[in-house]
Amino acid sequence: MASVRLTGITKQYEGNPVLKGIDLDIADGEFVVLVGPSGCGKSTLLRIVAGLEDVGAGTVEIGGAVCNEVEPAKRGIAMVFQSYALYPHMTVAENMGFALKLAGVPRAEIEERVARAAEILQIGHLLARRPKALSGGQRQRVAIGRAIVRKPEVFLFDEPLSNLDAALRGQTRVELARLHADLKATMIYVTHDQVEAMTLGQKIVVLNGGIVEQVGTPIELYERPANMFVAGFLGSPRMNFLPGALAGEQDVVAHVRLSGGTQVDVAADASSAAPGGAVTLGVRPEHLRVLADGEGGGIPATIALVEYLGDSVIVHAQANGVPEMIAVKCRADDGAWHAGARVRLGFDPGHGHLFDADGAALPRVPQAR
Amino acid sequence: MHATRPRTRKGDALPAVLLLAPFAITFLLFFFLPALDTFYMSLTESSLTRTNAFIGLDNYVTLVQDPSFWAAVGNTFYFALLTVVPLTVLGLVMALLVNHFTRASGWLQGAFFLPFVLPISVMTLIADWMLQPSSGVVNYVLGMQRAWFADLTWAMPMVAIGTIWWTVGFNMLMFLAGLRNIPAELYEAAALDGARGFTLFRTITWPALRPVAGMALVLQLIASMKIFGQTYIMTTGGPFNTTRVTLHYMYETAFTQSDAGYAAAIAVAFVAIVIALSLAQAGIVAWLARRDA
Amino acid sequence: MNKRASLGWTVIGALAALLLAAMWVAPLLWAMSTALRPEHETVSAVFHWLPQEWTLDAFAKVLAAGNVGRWLFNSALVALLVTVVTMALSLMAAFAFSQLRFRGRTLVFALTMLAFLVPFEALLVPLFRMMNQLGLINSYAGIVLPQVVAPVVIYVFKQFFDAIPADFREAAVMDGAGPLRILWSVYLPVSGNIVWAMAIVTFIGAWNNFLWPFIIVTSNDMMTIPLGLTQTYDAFGVRYAQLMAAALLGALPVALAYVVFQRRVTHGFLAATGLKG
Repeated sequence: MASVRLTGITKQYEGNPVLKGIDLDIADGEFVVLVGPSGCGKSTLLRIVAGLEDVGAGTVEIGGAVCNEVEPAKRGIAMVFQSYALYPHMTVAENMGFALKLAGVPRAEIEERVARAAEILQIGHLLARRPKALSGGQRQRVAIGRAIVRKPEVFLFDEPLSNLDAALRGQTRVELARLHADLKATMIYVTHDQVEAMTLGQKIVVLNGGIVEQVGTPIELYERPANMFVAGFLGSPRMNFLPGALAGEQDVVAHVRLSGGTQVDVAADASSAAPGGAVTLGVRPEHLRVLADGEGGGIPATIALVEYLGDSVIVHAQANGVPEMIAVKCRADDGAWHAGARVRLGFDPGHGHLFDADGAALPRVPQAR
Repeated sequence: MHATRPRTRKGDALPAVLLLAPFAITFLLFFFLPALDTFYMSLTESSLTRTNAFIGLDNYVTLVQDPSFWAAVGNTFYFALLTVVPLTVLGLVMALLVNHFTRASGWLQGAFFLPFVLPISVMTLIADWMLQPSSGVVNYVLGMQRAWFADLTWAMPMVAIGTIWWTVGFNMLMFLAGLRNIPAELYEAAALDGARGFTLFRTITWPALRPVAGMALVLQLIASMKIFGQTYIMTTGGPFNTTRVTLHYMYETAFTQSDAGYAAAIAVAFVAIVIALSLAQAGIVAWLARRDA
Repeated sequence: MNKRASLGWTVIGALAALLLAAMWVAPLLWAMSTALRPEHETVSAVFHWLPQEWTLDAFAKVLAAGNVGRWLFNSALVALLVTVVTMALSLMAAFAFSQLRFRGRTLVFALTMLAFLVPFEALLVPLFRMMNQLGLINSYAGIVLPQVVAPVVIYVFKQFFDAIPADFREAAVMDGAGPLRILWSVYLPVSGNIVWAMAIVTFIGAWNNFLWPFIIVTSNDMMTIPLGLTQTYDAFGVRYAQLMAAALLGALPVALAYVVFQRRVTHGFLAATGLKG
């Protein structure tokens, strides 16, 4: 197993910059997720690590050795493709053993390694079948098995779950996490799905437009996003953003006047922001509350739509001065809401996020949980 | 998605050479060099076996003023005129029938396409037999005694008819492919809108087939320019050279009169005509595509 | 259009189909009818659609006299050689054009495709002279070699290779396969259908090729079927039953190939035009 270090990775396609200088350190045995919207460069970055694409500038180090010029097969990596790329004319066993055969590994050893990998993935009974006789989930396991057999230093996953249906996706996520724990391998995983990122990653790298927005553990990124992009990307339903201006501050509390007129308090350090300057308030749906009649304050809003999810309810409300609808996530038995009702939304100042005019997050004051 | 691939890969050069070499050698030897040779020969006075003096563009000057050449070109275009439209129309009709009568389509398709896989001599032998003056079945049915291939008016049309029988299957195939590419949903939507029968053809089928028809027309035209076997075997270019086509004239010049230099000039002129037609086709196709877009 | 009118159209269509089909099989049927009768019946004053006396005499005479057996052998050998060599050359070249990135790739491919514009017929004389100098006139090599240059086949294979998802190639690269290995272990095995289709089409084309063998073959022994059949005029004179028998014998192998491989044949011819379906 080995560490991976990327320094200053830059890449252009026909004059369009796709990666604008990526620095990344991945420790041995870590499960790192590269996540971001389409076109952010995450797949390109993965393929550069794999050696399927050349770097424009920068260095790729695997296990401490620079391998910009090294062929993919010699970098000690294995890749699981989004479409699995199983050779259709070969059996499962042949697919899994192909790389070893090319490397001249003796047949007995190939069989043994294939059998062992098949056992880990529980596909031993499929070894003699052809890919077209397998289900999507089975094919995916064969693709993973093909990677395991090669005993690589680093595993690369390119959106491996995107071709599976929802139920299978959840199940496979769990198995991937288990696999990582068993093999203790370094894994780099690319996805656009933030749920996969949050659940699988020990470290998440959020990419956007060719740059790294933030690197951190899931908790860090969720509770202390560095900017509006990361804040809005992780978490579903998305964090609510309410525009406003800084009305004043007092120690560790910032007063914000929202565009609709309401004034709220946020536990953030606004000392670096200009008084009266434009700021954006961010509150996650699960941290908003519909205030009871007896409670004061709150942001006035009109309910537009109520979605029942079974275990929870999402209330979509329109507030003055806020262009998009605000989503509030409540427990199902909090009350019966209906469209058109006027309510007031409130939140605990410790759960608010504040972003300056450039979208960067103002430091949050740690709260007792 | 995955962006463009790199322009060159270092390790690819050697395998590329290995893989391309066999083809490249044969291509060079049996196409490229002969092509250059034809060009050069057309500027010389040569026999079949020896290249003689370099005479510049003299061959071409003679060519332009040669009534036999222009007659041959005219005969070729006449043949094209007789075959191109019938081949396209018949091909379309056959494709429509095959597509419609699905239960019999294997048989129908087979009946129409089988002649296409036969060697030319089979077609010419049968045609010759059927068109015999005294014992041929055509004359029997029509109650005539005509010697079709010796008849000034009918020789070329008969060659054309034989060719149509022989090659229409290919056009049918192209139209069939075009028909099968039309998504069924288009017809379903039109049916819901109340369209029937001929309207369906006019509004859905024909617009979708127009490009195929265009391609078929041009392929036919170019193929017509290139005929040789049919007229050589069936009429030997007669009567009185009225069915002598361009390539036949070239063959005679080269192999009968052993005037290879002049024959090469004919060949070059011939290629020029084919290229001109191909370019015209590309232009028309592009124009039509722009108009439809 | 009401039901009655559409039924009417269907009837017209069916009649048209029957009529056209009949017209198209009639010549071959008539040839068979002629070949199965004794010679004197073909020129008799009284016309008969069917043989009054059924006999295989014509076929027997054709097979005995002349060189029909020899010609069939020549055709088979030439067609087979042309097919095998063309497939090998074209697959390799197509793979190089499709999957390898080397300097000048676009140029070389464009040159190859240029061959479409120059018809084979224009090269007859130089090819003849070259074969003469190489001493290959009237030889199998002479007949076969110019026919293996097939830009159409390369084009079809290249399109096919281009359409194979890049993932397979990349997975093979990750597995450590070099370009030749990738061709052999990944691209060729999945090309089965298209190779079959083009092989059969090439075979038929080589079998039916008239022009080039006509130029290069000078002795009766080396003739291929299309050539040989034209000799039958002189060999058999006005013996039409035998002429038809010879024609049918010459047609038999390719007709059989079509009947057996109908789908592949149509697939192959269509692929050559670039149309899908």
